[in-house]
Amino acid sequence: MKTSTFRTDVQEQLERIGQADIIVGIPSFNNARTIGHVVRAVQGGLAKYFPEYKAVIVNSDGGSSDGTMDVVHNSSIDDFSAILLHHRVSPISKIAFPYSGIPGKGSAFRTIFEIAEALDAKACAVVDSDLRSITPEWIELLVTPILKGGYDYVSPLYHRHKFDGTITNSIVYPLTRALYGRRVRQPIGGDFGFSGSLAQYYLTKDVWQSDVARFGIDIWMTTTAIANGFKVTQSFLGAKIHDAKDPGSDLSSMLYQVVSATFELMETYSAVWMPIQGTEPVPAFGFEYTVGLEPVNVNTARMLNTFREGLRNLGEIWLDILGAGDFGEVEKLGALSDSEFHFPIGLWAQVVYDCALAFHQRKLPAEHLIKSMTPLYVGKTASFILEAKDMGQTEAETEIEKLCLEFENRKDYLVRNWK
Amino acid sequence: MENFINLILDPLNALFFKFKVFMPNLLAMLVILTIGILLALIIKRILVKFLAAINFDSWSDRKGFTKLMRKGDLWSKPTAILGAIVFWMLIIITLMSGLNALQITAIDQLVNQFFSYIPRIFSAAMILIIGHLLSGFISRAVLITAANSGFHYAKLLAEAVHTLLIVLILAMIMEQLQIAPVIVLAAFSIIFGGIVIALAIAFGVGGIDAAKRIIEQEAISKREEVNDEIEPL
Repeated sequence: MKTSTFRTDVQEQLERIGQADIIVGIPSFNNARTIGHVVRAVQGGLAKYFPEYKAVIVNSDGGSSDGTMDVVHNSSIDDFSAILLHHRVSPISKIAFPYSGIPGKGSAFRTIFEIAEALDAKACAVVDSDLRSITPEWIELLVTPILKGGYDYVSPLYHRHKFDGTITNSIVYPLTRALYGRRVRQPIGGDFGFSGSLAQYYLTKDVWQSDVARFGIDIWMTTTAIANGFKVTQSFLGAKIHDAKDPGSDLSSMLYQVVSATFELMETYSAVWMPIQGTEPVPAFGFEYTVGLEPVNVNTARMLNTFREGLRNLGEIWLDILGAGDFGEVEKLGALSDSEFHFPIGLWAQVVYDCALAFHQRKLPAEHLIKSMTPLYVGKTASFILEAKDMGQTEAETEIEKLCLEFENRKDYLVRNWK
Repeated sequence: MENFINLILDPLNALFFKFKVFMPNLLAMLVILTIGILLALIIKRILVKFLAAINFDSWSDRKGFTKLMRKGDLWSKPTAILGAIVFWMLIIITLMSGLNALQITAIDQLVNQFFSYIPRIFSAAMILIIGHLLSGFISRAVLITAANSGFHYAKLLAEAVHTLLIVLILAMIMEQLQIAPVIVLAAFSIIFGGIVIALAIAFGVGGIDAAKRIIEQEAISKREEVNDEIEPL
């Protein structure tokens, strides 16, 4: 559903540019500290790997008050020879402006799609503005499969700390993989490549007043691409290291936005996922290598306390959602000590499916339903951390693989009860 | 002698005349009652079937109305209860219309008063339904938010919020129905103010240790939160 009306200055800039081959979007909100590095990496990538293409960097900002957009305008690579670049470099246009709509990453992306459509771009990429580990190669890895490989969507592959990406590892990846049958390892990675035609397809969807306009955008982009038969691939980008996260960010709101978007997509594409059985790998680009990752501090005692308080206070709601059988199993976990605590993966798969079914049956308002599951998610995360604390990266990944298989094996339960 | 007979016959004539005038009214009332009762029965049956077709019972379960009914010692299905409510409302309206047909001044006044009271009953019922939904929604939101923050007394807090909202809603309903509005207002102010003062005293004086503990725990968990570096997405 196209409703784009750009500000006059942006419209003038777009008219001056006329057409572009590649658009790289950077959504931001108060990222003055890190966005300069991201802009330089993107510039380097475009200059080094796509010198013959006309490219535009778009910063879609959420109304930053720390001068983020000024940093974008002022950031550039002073010496291209430092990145071993000696051929002619045509200037890369930059557009930085505040987006309109619901404040959130999704609204920022929507504006990037609109600019891609206005400039008739062939390939696009989006990268987070708080990345510290981005290099010029990321742009090559996200854009080349689109421009030269005939793909429509490139999902990232990272090496991340075994305790990072917990919503991805325990909910979104296993669920998306079991539902749609494609093993996209980082469906909500945040850094993607996509074709101009896919950007235009995204704009035909009227989802910009929902949680897709916020953190739900990542899973929406990935699922929409898979479910509508676009050619999907992955690119190995290396380590993903963010700027320190905002301590005030509310976990349950983040969980709600991502999970409600995932469940809404289940409603939209039920005819697509219900007949799918088993999964198949998705091809991957890039040279995989081992990277050193920063240690991550966690407090499992506090997490388990949150789980037990949740069980004590939200037990009645959980009983409604999970039913007596699964709730009984969850109740038993409350009696375990910290050292004995173990959340079985089979039970977790049941919990997620029960939650999806309760969402489908509208048992509770969506926000209450998903937010009430936060202590369960925290309990599952604590259990994984306790089990994986002495594991290497590969062993931890094997545990995630086991969880995915559990989701796949129990998919029949979801299909049977989806009325 | 003729005069004497007239003295006896005149009142009888007058009574007969009054009865002659009253008879059609009485018949009209009986007809209205018969038709009204029949209509009420038919409408009740249609309504119950319609509600069953749209799964009203399941909806009531989900929205908490069934639970509310059980608390009020009503054990029939929500469909049956609503059918009975509509049936008896129609019977009352039929009865009032029938009595109106008798054209007796005192009854006319009573009937007029009843019909002018109906909008108040309707708005009180709306306040009750919306108030129940809203209080349930708000108290559940408080419960979930508090529990997710690891607050030990989340259930107690949510119950307190629910009780306060119910008191507020009941006061609004009583005021709407014009049942001793002055006393209701005074009672509401006393109860509501009393609860707030009791909470303030309990927390500030009686529960000073508990308050201290909660605030300390909050400060500790905040410090720990900063140290927690997991990236969920």
